[in-house]
Amino acid sequence: MSASSARRSPGRPGWVGWMPWAALAVVVGVALGVGSTHGGPPATVAERANAIDALVRCPSCDGISVADSSASTAVAIRQVVLTRVRAGQTDAQIDSFLVSRYGPGILLRPPVQGWTAWVWLAPPAVLAGAVVGLVAVLWRRRSRAPAPVSADDRALVQRALAERAGAGRAGSEVVTAP
Amino acid sequence: MTQTEGATARPELRRRHTARWVAGVILVVGAALVALLATSPPQSATEVDTPLVGQAAPDIAGATLGGGSFDLAALRGRWVVVNFFASWCPPCQQEEPELVAFAYAHRSPGDAALVGVVFDDAASSAHSFMQSTGASWPAVIDPDGQLALNYGVRGPPETFIVAPDGTVVVHLDGPVTAASLDHWLVLAKQGRS
Repeated sequence: MSASSARRSPGRPGWVGWMPWAALAVVVGVALGVGSTHGGPPATVAERANAIDALVRCPSCDGISVADSSASTAVAIRQVVLTRVRAGQTDAQIDSFLVSRYGPGILLRPPVQGWTAWVWLAPPAVLAGAVVGLVAVLWRRRSRAPAPVSADDRALVQRALAERAGAGRAGSEVVTAP
Repeated sequence: MTQTEGATARPELRRRHTARWVAGVILVVGAALVALLATSPPQSATEVDTPLVGQAAPDIAGATLGGGSFDLAALRGRWVVVNFFASWCPPCQQEEPELVAFAYAHRSPGDAALVGVVFDDAASSAHSFMQSTGASWPAVIDPDGQLALNYGVRGPPETFIVAPDGTVVVHLDGPVTAASLDHWLVLAKQGRS
């Protein structure tokens, strides 16, 4: 008999133990899916322009988007974004124009290419590695055979249990004594 | 003084001694910092590698501070120095006499031309600023900042050298000098020859 089946409840199939983990994986997957697609594409021209503004770095500020800045450069970029959205340009075309003027650093969300790809790929890769490692550790721990128990150990445990039972009886006698 | 009084007075004396040392060190470091800042050379322009270098210069056309109009395309065939400036910017104030000297040295017909673009400044302030320094080159008003955006300007002063074929060849960030502009102009001409 294996160690895992020894710990398993009689009559319960092995996959039942994994059910909570499977449920957790489903919940996390659904939450990530909903979170990444929540809201859908912006509906109006202004909403689309605002969405682009939020991802463009203010060129004369420190680490804030043009949407959050009142600097003249930010105001000019907001204006050009709005004009280009109205003209029917795609987000990529507008980003490309700004990059052609200020360089790739103008975008708060770096493009997925070259070294910047690591910025996007590293977190999910690390997360996936951590999950695989956790599952492997749990699996190994479940399937590991228990350490052999010697006769001396058993005797020691029996003696301790007997002493504990005796002490308990004595204590209850004291308490219940009139 | 008893032995007990002497024992309590000694740590007090040591504390005062330490405080005097700390105050002295702070004073010396502060004085050194002030001396360093006071004697450091003024900020100068550095070449920046921006996407516009090697590309066609975006057009600069519009009203000038003097009430006229300007079009960069009309200067095709000449070297042009485009300077983004503002009256409120100290480095711009620092470089203005240098630009005046550069413009004077290149005053002969057909030589390098100088044009200013007002960056985030009131036209009246920019005009007074130029008049006070004797600057006589055209300065284009950029009320909505679109010229600055087209050139990828982050903050004044920024200077571009445009080749006779209309290509941006140098982008300088910071206050220029007449000598540094001449230096970059020579390098740019060598690169084009």
